[in-house]
Amino acid sequence: MGARLPRWLLAFTAAVLALLHLPLVVLVAFSFNASKFSVEWTAFTLNWYRRLAERRDILRALRGSLIVGGSATLLSVALGTLIALALARHRFRGRTIYEAMLYAPIVTPEIVVGISMLILLVLVHVPLGLATITIAHVAFSVPFVAVVVLARLSGMDEHLEEAAMTLGADEIAAFWKITVPLLWPGILAGALLAFIMSFDDYVITSFVAGSGSSTLPLVIYGMVRRNIEPSINAISTLILVATVVLLYLSDRMSRRAATVDE
Amino acid sequence: MSTRRRRLLGWLERHPEAQAWALLGPGTIWMVVSFVIPVLIMCAYSLMPRGTYGGVEVGFTLEAYQRFFNPVYLIILERTFVAALLCTALCVLLGYPVAYVIARSGRWKNVLLFLVVLPFWTSFLVRTFALIFLMRDTGLINSWLLKLGLVREPITMLYTSFAVLTGLVYGFLPFMILPIYASLEKLDPALLEAAEILGAKPAARFRRITLPLSRPGLVAGCLLVFIPALGSFLTSDLLGGAKELLIGNLVQNQFTTARNWPFGSAASTVVMVLVLGAVLIYLRVRDRETVGVI
Amino acid sequence: MEEVTRELLGGRMSRRDFVARALALGASVATIGSLLAACARGRSAAPASSGAIGPIEKELAIYNWSDYVAPDTIPNFEKEFGVEVTYDVYESNEEMLAKLLAGASGYDLVFPTGYAVQVLVAVGLAATVDRSLITNWGNLAPLFLNLSFDPGNAHTVPYQWGVSGYAYRSDKVASPPDSWGVFFDRTYAGKMTQMDDGREVLGSFLKYRGHSVNSVDPAQLAAAKADAIAVKPSLQAYISAPVKGQLISGDVWLAQMWNGDCTQAQAEQPAIQFVVPREGAAIWQDSLLIPINAKHKRAAHEFMNYILRPDVGAAISDTTGYGSPNVRALPLMKRPVPYPTADELSRLEFQTDLGRATALVDQIWTEIKSA
Repeated sequence: MGARLPRWLLAFTAAVLALLHLPLVVLVAFSFNASKFSVEWTAFTLNWYRRLAERRDILRALRGSLIVGGSATLLSVALGTLIALALARHRFRGRTIYEAMLYAPIVTPEIVVGISMLILLVLVHVPLGLATITIAHVAFSVPFVAVVVLARLSGMDEHLEEAAMTLGADEIAAFWKITVPLLWPGILAGALLAFIMSFDDYVITSFVAGSGSSTLPLVIYGMVRRNIEPSINAISTLILVATVVLLYLSDRMSRRAATVDE
Repeated sequence: MSTRRRRLLGWLERHPEAQAWALLGPGTIWMVVSFVIPVLIMCAYSLMPRGTYGGVEVGFTLEAYQRFFNPVYLIILERTFVAALLCTALCVLLGYPVAYVIARSGRWKNVLLFLVVLPFWTSFLVRTFALIFLMRDTGLINSWLLKLGLVREPITMLYTSFAVLTGLVYGFLPFMILPIYASLEKLDPALLEAAEILGAKPAARFRRITLPLSRPGLVAGCLLVFIPALGSFLTSDLLGGAKELLIGNLVQNQFTTARNWPFGSAASTVVMVLVLGAVLIYLRVRDRETVGVI
Repeated sequence: MEEVTRELLGGRMSRRDFVARALALGASVATIGSLLAACARGRSAAPASSGAIGPIEKELAIYNWSDYVAPDTIPNFEKEFGVEVTYDVYESNEEMLAKLLAGASGYDLVFPTGYAVQVLVAVGLAATVDRSLITNWGNLAPLFLNLSFDPGNAHTVPYQWGVSGYAYRSDKVASPPDSWGVFFDRTYAGKMTQMDDGREVLGSFLKYRGHSVNSVDPAQLAAAKADAIAVKPSLQAYISAPVKGQLISGDVWLAQMWNGDCTQAQAEQPAIQFVVPREGAAIWQDSLLIPINAKHKRAAHEFMNYILRPDVGAAISDTTGYGSPNVRALPLMKRPVPYPTADELSRLEFQTDLGRATALVDQIWTEIKSA
């Protein structure tokens, strides 16, 4: 496992990961800071966590972010994987152009996408809400998923499914039992990217969100003119803790499943 | 399997292009409705005269594009390209080794992947303000350096190009690590072992086996970092002190304070055409190289 | 038929729907034609466009700046009037304007600054206020009424006001001159900031040279631009409200900012003082405004009236640190922001929208940033 990896490489990786997490340490520390401005340490307090219970707006926004993030990730993973399969496995007219156009949503500035999407939604009288936010998020996530899964597919043996089918499996079984597991690291990588982009999107979301639909970035970015109240630090800390706990539990469960399989 | 299904699958077998479009269909429809049409509307706006208070008036004019081809704006474009290029290069340097380690970590793969993206479950603004707190003259890093006696005066880190690059790399690192990981994960350690047994040195093993295998992921990572980096504007504002404009700032301003929507969409269209054109050329070259092999 | 016509003139119905409904109601083609022409002449040409305001609705959708009400303002309103309030936030006038200009609806109240009011009125997106429903109108100081961006207050109710100037650390900066010229002083190079706002930066130098902040004279603007470029190397950054943190920590000693932000920072660092330079500065006012396509106009009016109560106004100002235009709220405020004297008022100016000249100012700001 790690035995063949040179020490300097492991140290380098550990250093990069540590640097990635350094701002998090600051963020968590300030969630316990008495000062309203995250500037200097004054005193320890759990006040901001207590405030969270009062701030219905932050909790509602968290709920919105999770709903939109989860749905957008699932949808963009499904659509993006299909696109990647088509591009990798089939030759068709306009294939290269299609692949190039995949990058169009990535290169277009968010404010252009946001305003133009709003104009279209208004034109066809679609009411704004969490659904419109999800539609927009899927639109900018699909290219990322497709590109990552495509990178995974390159160089992969495309005849494995055929082999499975000659052994009696039909297309659907071949897809779920062979293709998806092989693609899984690419799908997971794409899903993670899609989720973090959706969870933190502000500009596009601010234009296509309807009155009453709220996500965390909408609440947080609005605070930048006043100051980011440390209850935001508190909720971020809670999210981090929840994620770590979920990760630990899922790791334990998959470990147990693995031993059962053996 | 039902007869209808068998007939459908048989028909698809005989029409490979239809197979492709069956897979592409749902995604394409979604993208056309939610992205292509809106952006085409915006491109149309770039050819219309600006409204006095924002928006557009009916008409046709090329003045937005004429205005863009002006040294002031072209310099901004150039500066943005350089920044995005530097960011991408640094992401490769920092991200490739990490992706490699994760791909070779067996049981710990998923844990490490989550550790890479974990910081991004918090808000960009909060992370950036934490970076500001670290890099300020009176911030954490400087106060530790002073306390340990390593420097006599605080090092100016904030509101410099260094700060902006740090912020950009910090924000885009997962977009480099994850694609490289996805393609490196296919690497069979047995291949490397065999090469070692046959006498290949580490550098040669990397050059001949690992690097070519990771090339699709590496290219994907570079594109997924470079292209969005071109549009970034908040990082240079918050960490660079808003003293310089990037294309992202320029476009943002046109739709907000300047209320010049046609000019904003013209600038955005120019960048889109340049970048997509370059990508198309690259893809054509790549496909010609790998004819017969997908 | 009257109902249908009102909906068309109020912009709540598309022309196609109007024709369909009118035909169904038996209106003649001539009538339909003339009504459509009336609509085309611009929505602002329809005086009764607010429609008849009926009884108070059960819901209210507010679109406001973040942290711009006191913690109990909304809950108390909800309890007293039995209205469910949805509260969404935006972080700049421009963002709110862009969204409304692109056609977004669903908001019953927005809070534009003066120049943004002009824009909304000019494009016909502002509903008229039914003054008969605003019984607390008399609480407002005349100083904040009938301003150039909304003559006669046909569309707005004043909400908060503030001035720009600069804040400084009295423990680091000995005795700063009360002039915008302080930015030319190299003593504080590297410790100063100006706002990341083209109108404010140019405004400061226009005032320094004795001109109006709303000047569109090319020569005056060119001089202000030269000043801004000359000052730029001494600046640490262009940063607006978030500079508060750096002022408290001491990274920045002198920052152009609005008075309310300074008041908030003073709470944590008493050594911070505010100066309105003697050459004058920009004064601004945020107002409540009802978008023309609002669905809950009565509730919006009741909210406007509720805001004008002295205790509510005082609580809001205490939270934001900005001034209240409600003269009866002043005695109740913990940190009262005194009204400008007549002498000071002569040097303060409201920023107006520059119309087509906006592009010129933006061009200059781009050049300053590229210098």
